[in-house]
Parts: sequence; C-alpha cells; structure tokens
Amino acid sequence: MLEHTQLTDKELNDELLRDILTMPKWWLPAVLFLAAIVITGYSAFGYMVFNGLGVTGLNRPVFWGFFIANFVFWIGISHAGIMISAILRLTQAEWRRPITRAAEVMTLFSLAAALHTPLFHVGRPWRVFYWIFPYDFSRGIWPNVKSPFVWDPSAVGTYLIASTLFVIVCLIPDLAILRDRAKNKITKFIYAQLCLGFRGTTRQWKLQIVAGILLSALVLPIFVSVHTVVSWDFAVLIGTEGWRSTIFGPYFIIGAVHSGVSAVAMLMALSVWIYGLQNYIKPDHFDAIARLLIVVATTWFFFFFLEWVWAMFTLESPEIALRELQVGPWPWGPLFLIFVITSFVIPVPLWMFRRFRRSAAIMFFTTILVNIGMWLERFLIVIPSLMRRSHLTFDWGSYSPSLIEILIVTETFAFVALGMLLFAKAFPLVPIFDMKEGMRNRHLIKVGRRVIPATIREGLPHHYYNKEHH
Amino acid sequence: MATRTFDDKYPGQPFVQTDNSLESRKELSDKFLGIYNDTGSQRFWQISVIFGVLFGIGLLGYFWKIFATKDPGDFGYYAALFSFLMTTSAGAPMVAIGPRIANAHWRRSISRVAEIWTLIGTVNLIVFLPLLWVMPSLDNGRRSLVFYWEAKGDWWFPFLIKFSGHIWTTVSIITLIVLGIVLLWVSVMPDLALIRDNAPDGWRKKWASRLSRGWIGSSWQWNWQRHRMGTLGALYFMMLVLTHFFISTEFLMVHVPGWIDSLYPITHAHNALQGGVATVMLTMFVVSRIGPYRHYISLDQFHGLGKLLLALSLLWFWFWFCSFMIFWYGKKPSEQAILKLFVHGPYFPVFLAEFFFVFFIPWWTMVWNPVRRSVWGPAIIAISVLIGTFLDRVRMYVSTWDVAGISADKLAANGGQFSDEYPRNMMLNMTILDDPAFDRIMIIKNFEGLPVPTSAVLPTAIDGVIILGFVSGAVFLYMMASRLIPVINIWEQKELLLYNAEVQFHRAKVKVMGKPR
Repeated sequence: MLEHTQLTDKELNDELLRDILTMPKWWLPAVLFLAAIVITGYSAFGYMVFNGLGVTGLNRPVFWGFFIANFVFWIGISHAGIMISAILRLTQAEWRRPITRAAEVMTLFSLAAALHTPLFHVGRPWRVFYWIFPYDFSRGIWPNVKSPFVWDPSAVGTYLIASTLFVIVCLIPDLAILRDRAKNKITKFIYAQLCLGFRGTTRQWKLQIVAGILLSALVLPIFVSVHTVVSWDFAVLIGTEGWRSTIFGPYFIIGAVHSGVSAVAMLMALSVWIYGLQNYIKPDHFDAIARLLIVVATTWFFFFFLEWVWAMFTLESPEIALRELQVGPWPWGPLFLIFVITSFVIPVPLWMFRRFRRSAAIMFFTTILVNIGMWLERFLIVIPSLMRRSHLTFDWGSYSPSLIEILIVTETFAFVALGMLLFAKAFPLVPIFDMKEGMRNRHLIKVGRRVIPATIREGLPHHYYNKEHH
Repeated sequence: MATRTFDDKYPGQPFVQTDNSLESRKELSDKFLGIYNDTGSQRFWQISVIFGVLFGIGLLGYFWKIFATKDPGDFGYYAALFSFLMTTSAGAPMVAIGPRIANAHWRRSISRVAEIWTLIGTVNLIVFLPLLWVMPSLDNGRRSLVFYWEAKGDWWFPFLIKFSGHIWTTVSIITLIVLGIVLLWVSVMPDLALIRDNAPDGWRKKWASRLSRGWIGSSWQWNWQRHRMGTLGALYFMMLVLTHFFISTEFLMVHVPGWIDSLYPITHAHNALQGGVATVMLTMFVVSRIGPYRHYISLDQFHGLGKLLLALSLLWFWFWFCSFMIFWYGKKPSEQAILKLFVHGPYFPVFLAEFFFVFFIPWWTMVWNPVRRSVWGPAIIAISVLIGTFLDRVRMYVSTWDVAGISADKLAANGGQFSDEYPRNMMLNMTILDDPAFDRIMIIKNFEGLPVPTSAVLPTAIDGVIILGFVSGAVFLYMMASRLIPVINIWEQKELLLYNAEVQFHRAKVKVMGKPR
C-alpha cells in the first residue's frame, strides 16, 4: 500500500471519533427514513400474522419463496466479516486494518436479518420457543435432531455468538478511548462498563491480541459450517431436483464469500462518501479487495459451472427439465441471464483493469451488481426446483411474491443499514487501535527512484529463530 | 522552483535503508554459484544411482504390464500411480505460484524447489499414455461429459465424440506439462544468465548460454519476465484445476454407474494442492537439512507451508464430509453402493489409514505451535500426507477400475451397445426410462444397485515394481535436474536484499519487509 496518510495518535482519535462525539446533519433524517421502512416491514409482518400466510405468494408446491431466498442471501453477506477480518488478520495482510470493523459489524446485522427472515416465513414465530421448551414432555415431542432445520439455527446461533465475541474483543481498546473522551457522564459510564477496565497495560494488550488471534482461528470452522449447514437445508432433500448435489456446501460458501466481500467493497465506498474516510480507505484498498474479488468470483463461477455440468451429467430427465426451466421460459430465463451477467460477466472483466479497481464509484457499481446477481442466484435455486417438484400435473404451480413479502424483504435491507448507522454513531467504524499499530509499523524503503512501502514483519517470536540457529 | 524533498512527499513516515550494495549481491551470487558448480557429494551420486536403477527396473515392469495385461480392471494400481504423480508433482509448483502472486517473501528460497517438480510431468506422461488404450470409448454406453451430442456426420465428428475423454485428458495433461516447463524456464532465465557469465568453461556454461536467450537484465527484460511469470502462473493454476476435472471424471466417475458427485473434481484438485505442498515440504527438508541450503531454507519457510498444510488438511475433511454426508443422508441404494465401494466396503482399512494420514495426524499435530513452528514437525507431517494421498489414490482408482471391469461384463450381458439414436427432446419424457430401445438409460437403470466387489484388489509384484520404479524415477529426474538448475532461486534471493532491513523498535530489533505491489 503506497498510498498512505501518516497521522498522529491525536489526529486519528479526532477524525475517527468525530461522528460519535458530534451529530452529523444527515444522520437523523437517514435514521428516520430507514426506521420508517423497518416499521413498514414489521407492520406488513403484523398484517401477515393477523391474516395468515395466505397473504403471501406461497402456495403448493412452492412453499419456500422470497423469505428463504432472502435468508440464504443474508447468511451469505454475513460471511464477509469473518472472511475479511479473520483470514486477513491471520495472513497479516496490512490492507485489512481500516475495513475489518465495518465488515465484522455487517456480519452481526446481516446475521440478525437472516435469523428473523425464517421466523417470518414460518408464520407463527412464537413457536420457536417450542424448540427450546418442548411443550409436551409426556408425548415426547422434541425437535427432530436428524433434521437440518435443527442444525441450522444451532449453527447460525453459534456463529452469531462467536462473531459478537469477536467484535467485542476487537472493540475493547477503542471503547477505552471513548471512555476517556466522552464528555457526558452517562455515556462515559456506559463506555467504562463496556471496555472492561482496559487501560492499555502490557498484559491487557497481550490478552487482547491473543484473544483476537484465537477467535480468528476458532471462528473460521464455524464460518464454514454455517453455510454448509444452510446448504444442507436444500441438499439433503432427496426428492427435489436441482438441490441434491454434493457441491452445494462449498458452492454456497464461495457464493457467500463472493457476495459478502462485494458487500464490504460497497461499504468501503459508502464509508468514504458518507463518513469522509478517504484518509484511511485509499484507492489501493479498493485495488486489493478487487483483486481478491477476481479470485473469489472466478472460483465461484467454476463451482457454478460444475454444478451445472453434473446436473447434465446425470442424464436424468427431471433434472434436465429443471435446468431448461431455469434458463428458458419467462421470467426464469431472463432472471437467469441477469444473474449471470451481473454476478460475473460485467464485474470481473471490469476488475481486470487497474483504473477501474481503484475507483470507488466503479467498485460500488460493480459490487451492487454482484449482490443483485447473488440474490437472484438464491431465488433461482429456491423457486424453480420447487415448481418442478411433483410429477403430477395437478400439483404444478408457479410463484410470484406478494406485496407483503416484498415489504418484509425490503425491511431486512433497511434493518441492516439502520443497524450499521446506529452502530457507527456509538462506536468507531474504523478500528482506531489497529490503525495506530499500522502507523507505527509502517516504514518506507527507497529502491532506485521508487519508494516502496514496508512494514514491520509480524512473524515468529525471535526465540524460535534462536532455537533454530543453535 | 523548489524541489520536493522526501519528507515533503512522505511526511512523518520513517525511512529505512536496505543493504542492496554490489558487494552484498555479489557475495550472494558467489555463494549460490559455489554450491551449484560443486559436482555433488559422493553420497548424492550414490543415491542417484540407486534411484536410477530402480527407475530402470520400473521401466521393465512398465513394458511387461502394458504388453502382458489384457483386462482393464488390472490397471487400477497403475492408474493410481499416474494420479499420485499427477497429484504431487503437478501440484508442487503451486507453492511457488500462489505465494508469488500474493507477494509473500517467505516463498523466495523455496520457489525453485517447487518449480523443478514441473519436469516430472514428463515421467508421468510415460505412465499416462498406455491408459489411453485401456480407457474405454463411449461405445460401451458410459456416461460422459459430451451430454447430448450425437455421434453423427463425417468420420471425424463421431471419432471426436467417442474418444472425447481421451482427447481432452491428453490435451490438458500435455498443456499442463508444457506450461510448467515454460514457467520454469522463464523463472530460471536470470539465473542461467548468471551461470553463463560466471561459471567456468564447460557444458554448464554452454547450456546456460543457450537457454538464457540473451538475458542481460534490462528493465524491459525484467518487466517481461515478471508479467510472463504472472500470466503463466495463473494459466498453470487454471490448467491444473481443469486437468483434475477431466481426470477425476474420465478416469474415475464415468466408470462407476450411479456415482454422480459434483464436488469430486474439486476434491481431486484439492488433493493435488495438499500433495503438492507436502512434496515441496519434504523436498525442502532434504535440500536444506541433508543438502547445502540450510541457511536459506529456514523456519520461516516451514512455518509458512506448515500453516498452509494445516488449512489444506482441514479442507480435505470438509470436502470429503460434504460428499459423504449427502450420499449417506439420502439413503439412495445407488449411493449407498458408492459409499460401500469407497468407504466402508472392501477398502475400509485403506480409507481408515488414509483418513489418519491425510487428515487426523496433520490436524492433531499441526494445531500445536511447537510442532508447526519447527523444521522436523512439518517434514514428518508431509510424509504422512504423502502416504495418505497415495492411499487415497489407491482407494479411489483401484476400486473404480475394478468396478469398471464388472460393468463391462454386465454391459456385454445386456447386449449393451450405446445407441447412436439419442434424441435430446425425448430425454424430457419420463416414459423413456422404461423404453428398452434406449440402451444408455437402460444401462443406468440396471446399475442402480452397483455391484460392489466383496474383496479389495491387491497389487501384483509388477504393480509394486512399477510404483517403486516410477516414484524413484521422479526423484532421480529431480536430482539430475538439480545439477542443471540452481535449486534456490538466486535472482529472487538477490531481489530480497532490496526489500529487507532490520530496524530498532523500542528495545527489540525487528525486520522490516518492503511490499512493492
């Protein structure tokens, strides 16, 4: 990363805490607007609870619709936090520093959005308590532990807990700064409680760093298991063409990483525009994330290709008929085309050019396209397969979402945006302590006429090398 | 007009000086050239002769096998050997390509160690060619990646269809080998120029002069080399994945009716990465601890690759479990038969051993810091992974080729000839499944309950000779190549001088590494 603004600790504190300690003009209208959408969504949900699931477009044989496609989409987005933060932290990629916090927080809110979508989908969300407190001990009615629908909330719940812990551990030093800078007594008290008495002693730093690394390593298997289990919601169902495929686990993961990392790039552009973080998120950062996206998108496309190849390879007529449905008739054919074009055909060739990779606007545009495409991908996995499910013609049916479903799904997007805005009002969106560490580690090397950025190598402790040489 | 100083341009940023003096570079070149020009120890030549003789015996076994064996089912171990060599030697260069793209400095002293393995592709080509004769054409009614294409028209089109598997596996394997060798050549060019300019007169100087192609180290040439290596590396990786896709399909899946595992090509390619990392790790252990490069291949390299090997071992489990889970959970008879064939049937002991060697041992040892941060630990784990990878290839290929033999018999019993008449639109009609006129469909139906062998096929003495001979052949070729090509990438080591410095950080001395891109 050649592009860099060297700032003092004080400048970092001032800039990154500015929007927390003062109120930007745009903040309240934005929050009110998003809150209105959320309230509308919840009202639609209330209407659905009152009138029953008949107000949705769900009907035989398509019992999974917008809600489930949206659930898979948000689970996918949530993978970005861990992908960016844990993997880049473990691989010591310097460019991670300004973007990890936003990615981690997006994980939390998108997981929350994902979790409440199936609750809406079941129509009577209060029944979730029956899972925790089975209502009839005498008849032995328990959740079926052999079903992926039980594994799924367990996996997502574990991921939510692990991600929350991860965010808190990484937030502690910044909370201490906020405690010291807050002027209001109540907020000072709240931050003091949240930072758990962090004063920056050597031992505290060591514990915080070790906890961060351990959580990074521990959360990775959880990150992999979550979407694998989500994919098994589909893949273990033997009677539905198009779903029963061994590749579904890894295919869902790589799709999730594709949409999630794209969402982080989108968030980076928004952070520069809305919060004025251009001193921290430079064109070099967009370049780095775009190069990562080229690899991810190409891998995803290969998995997509394999999924199709093996569907054809079966030479089984129902499977082939399903594929023809997915790419042929209205509206599936055009939607399929939009999905492929937006998730791969437009973005990846654009990312090949350095000029485009370094442009926040182009990255914002292309990553929005990716997420449109990836939402459609989930939609095209869920609906056409269910439409083809039965061999009995009287059971054939189609699906179109009702206004209620559209409102509720829109609510999830507003919910995540609102959550991010509220978080950014209370906590710094760029990890201050991580930026300070990066500033201290940074050096420059002159090679001929060029200046090259250099950093202190975070390698093995020195005693390992001493042991090696003796 | 006032000129901008360094401080104006980069305010407040500390500047460090690296030791890139002519003396330092010359000292490094001299050290490496000294080792390179050394004719090798007596022990080196003794070991080379042993491997060379074993290779010769293996070649005799090879000719015996291809002229004396009639039944394709007997080629299981042979196919496993081919796949094992493909997995390890073709996967090894990824250790140079991946970290080079990611700009990881620790790769510098081991990138050549990894790249030289591309040459072993030529040995594997010898193993591969007879398999083309053994592999059946589509005439026997097997499923294929050609899907609906009808074998109609001029002579060449039906030929292309019937032998599609043969064609694209051959093309992809040859392309991969050629790409690998070109990548090695482009990478070695600056070092060859160094040898040309510094080595004493003799065959080495002549060979280096020819292959260095007038390299003088101009800016244009360095840019050219960097871009070519990037492009060739990316192409090599794509070709590697594509080749494993073809091999895993045409040499495995198409021969087992009912085995439709869309994840398996990825698993096969992943095995190549895992086997490649293990191969390089073992090679660098030998080169540094038995060979003369101890000071250049250190803990950094073992630590870097050790982490990668741990991640790849975990990925192995995940890929395997994703496939296993879907087959096991579904309880379809055809898929239960597949699991019986590959997991809990006659090859269960092999599976169990593989599971331990390729996943459990690496995972349970490499999670611990003292093992991962050592030289011996990762090297021993690499041996474990290589044994596990070989067992994996035996389990998959021997059982598959055994079943392929059974399937061929069954086909003959059913009068199984694939019909050229295969109208695509008829596929959409469910009733076709009951129509005996469509032999391919009938065959698929017949094999819903796959006949699983009751006992595992054991290797014959000839199989053992071939396996030992060709693995020795690979090592022999590598050893001979190490006399022609410097095993350590000299120019990459010299480049490191540009980016590497030591600075005082509070009370400690720390390393500062430059990242040019």
